Amino acid sequence: MSSSPSGALRGASPSLTPSRELLTANPSSTPSEELLTANPSSTPSEELLTASPSSTTSKPKVFVGMSGGVDSSVSAALLVEQGYDVTGVYMKNWSKDLPGMKCPWAEDLADAKRVAVKLGIPFEVWDFEDAYREKVVEYMLAEFKKGNTPNPDVMCNQEIKFKLFFEKAMERGADFIATGHYARVGERIDAMCPAEHKDLARAAWSVSEGHAASIRSPLLLRAADENKDQTYFLYRISEEALSHTLFPIGDMLKPDVKKLAEEKGLHNAYKKESMGVCFVGEVGMKDFLKEYIDIRPGEIREIETGKVLGYHEGAIFYTIGQRHGLYISGNKGEVNDGLPYYVVKKDLENNVVYVSKNLNDSNIWTRELKLTDVLMRGKAAGAMCPAEHKDLARAAWSVSEGHAAPVALPVLVRLRHRAPLIPATLKGDTLVFENEIKRPASGQSAVLYDGEICLGGGIIC
Amino acid sequence: MVMIYLDHAAATPVDSRVLKAMEPYFSRDFFNPSAAYLPAKKVASDYEAAKATIAHAIGAKASDLVITAGATEANNLALNAIFASRSGSQSPGPSPRAGAAMARAAALRNPPSQDANIALYLATEHDSVRKSAERCGGAEIVVDKFGRIDMADLKSKITDATELISVSLVNNELGVIQPLAEIANLIREIKFDRLRRGIKTPLYLHSDASQALNLLDINVARLGVDLLTLNSAKIYGPKGVGALYVSHEVKLTPSTYGGGQENGLRSGTENVPGVIGFAKAVELAHEHLNGNRKKYAELKKLLLSNLHGYELINKKHALDNFAVLCYNGIDAERLIYLLEEKEVYVSTGAACAASKGEKSHVLAAIGLNDEQIAGSLRLSLGETNDKSQILEAAKIINEIVGSEYGRVSHE
Repeated sequence: MSSSPSGALRGASPSLTPSRELLTANPSSTPSEELLTANPSSTPSEELLTASPSSTTSKPKVFVGMSGGVDSSVSAALLVEQGYDVTGVYMKNWSKDLPGMKCPWAEDLADAKRVAVKLGIPFEVWDFEDAYREKVVEYMLAEFKKGNTPNPDVMCNQEIKFKLFFEKAMERGADFIATGHYARVGERIDAMCPAEHKDLARAAWSVSEGHAASIRSPLLLRAADENKDQTYFLYRISEEALSHTLFPIGDMLKPDVKKLAEEKGLHNAYKKESMGVCFVGEVGMKDFLKEYIDIRPGEIREIETGKVLGYHEGAIFYTIGQRHGLYISGNKGEVNDGLPYYVVKKDLENNVVYVSKNLNDSNIWTRELKLTDVLMRGKAAGAMCPAEHKDLARAAWSVSEGHAAPVALPVLVRLRHRAPLIPATLKGDTLVFENEIKRPASGQSAVLYDGEICLGGGIIC
Repeated sequence: MVMIYLDHAAATPVDSRVLKAMEPYFSRDFFNPSAAYLPAKKVASDYEAAKATIAHAIGAKASDLVITAGATEANNLALNAIFASRSGSQSPGPSPRAGAAMARAAALRNPPSQDANIALYLATEHDSVRKSAERCGGAEIVVDKFGRIDMADLKSKITDATELISVSLVNNELGVIQPLAEIANLIREIKFDRLRRGIKTPLYLHSDASQALNLLDINVARLGVDLLTLNSAKIYGPKGVGALYVSHEVKLTPSTYGGGQENGLRSGTENVPGVIGFAKAVELAHEHLNGNRKKYAELKKLLLSNLHGYELINKKHALDNFAVLCYNGIDAERLIYLLEEKEVYVSTGAACAASKGEKSHVLAAIGLNDEQIAGSLRLSLGETNDKSQILEAAKIINEIVGSEYGRVSHE
């Protein structure tokens, strides 16, 4: 870990973590200059710093995405309590029923609306169905057809919630948008940067904006509730949106959110969390794909022998390393030796899934992951880089601009939502791990962190 | 705070006398009516007697009824008449009666037509009718601004391919009563004309009377219907029980296959307590038919005279317990959530449509614009209401509507 940036950064990190007090502060209270790193929620805008909290005309305007769940409901309630001018918005992204499964959108909408009415705030439904189908669902289907396992939530945040929703809110005169995500926004200000890093911070700035004029940049930070942290799904959202985003429950623990919902009499305090695909409710991804992709059954072969062991429902359903759901009929001792088979390879062209009992198969384990569509949250990555990595910071920048640089950036990596952070080094667009890891499904994201800070990430090839 | 329930068109509480009548059949008299021993035979005869009670209330015989799990299933079964008349295959195991009907219908069968007007239904029908009819080439019949059938439109849409016309006796969102006898007369003329021209396509009249059984004196002969849907849940009986009256003219395909219960049309062990409860509810409804109408008419008058700022949507031909009010510029869904905090329960339209987030097709059909639809509340009165409740409800609704108007104008 000595090469990890988190150690080098520790000196700067206290000033990067938004303080708990500030996150719940009245938005119109004046933060002191020392607390420059506060969450933007406490400093809605320069003009507002001196505004009277009771003045209705100067209340910062927030559009909060309300899904009908407890997290976004409590978020809206907190914003109201903190004195914002709040409008609840239900984003209608998907409303189509699937066979045997009623899409829960209308029920979710009713839950969201009931909470909005209870809070006494205006409520609107914004229809993003067309964009969602085009940007999220079609992307997802295309990726599955290529044999990848895409993450629709990452795409939904990038394209819908923190793009279309953000843009529309801004058009409507919003100061902020807010969501019920478990994440925090920090602010990086180079004045707070240790003196020896100041030039570096400016360098990073000048790369991102062409000049060193601005001194503020938003940081995406992991949630206080490590168990619920959702930055894995948020790593691709734009800096512009993030700098106008509030995550009102980002510094809370889930049980406290539920408790608060109950205290506030929100009817959905104990609403069951949606499982399965975000936009198709309880239905599994498999059932969803069956509706949209023409799937052919095919052979399952043992990779070592090429022998046909069984048949599958469609190669796209399987991911490398998968152990369950393989229909392999064993009638020989060698098959029924109690050891499970793992998927080690997919041949989409011939619709063959290859399996192996060899847990050490090179397809399952890897020390390197090649990434594509790498997006570095550049200001953070660059500015936070310690002085001795100055060149590296520039290199990291150039990755985001399409010029892979053969330099090494030490990072912590999350390969799945809620998965543990693993130390690795980003070399160009390849992650090199200290130890072998089980290969994650291609199409999923590798999200990079430096301590609390989400540095960005990429799609696993 | 005592609950004030103004949504009797969505559900009614089970009458205590109904509950009492049902109770023995859950435990003491639990036997399968099809079993051979005497206690089971007694249950079977109680079940038949209960069916007879329901049937008599509409001027029919027990054997004319198919018991279903509610009105939606009954409506689906009724629309089956069309599929039955065009499917060539013989259904297995029907009763002799259904078999004879099948032979009759097979003899009368026309070559399948591509005409879309095979089933005609009122634009304001419940989805259980609309969606069933859409499966077989249905077309809507226009209604006027009160929600009454446009007879000229019906006439113009009936073709030689039309096999079924479905018009609810009382609409579930507006409470509007339809002139069924008039429609039946038209159908008789058309049938006569078809015979004269040698056209053998059958033509049936189906009506959903779910909302009407406790307020209108219903007689199938007088109404001239071939198929009639009944519902226990709206008349203080248990939920999940309904019935379809099927005249001898009509041939249906079974909805379930098995032991041949319900004339072979709906196999499955009988819901004995449900039907006993349904029969008791029908009996009570009939005892109080006139008293109910008078009581509800008075309560409705009291309610309307104490509410402010609304436009009455169902001004004419409405059942005595239905009031649809439009508060222009207000979002009625917000009113529901605000009223629920005062334990006043109302609705914006059919409960099932509202839960799907759809705007009411009924209010659209009578020509309301989107804003009027969004501002419309349905209040349906019933046994749980009295005068003091109605006055209290009016006061609360006025207050909340007033504050919402204030909020809207502030925005």
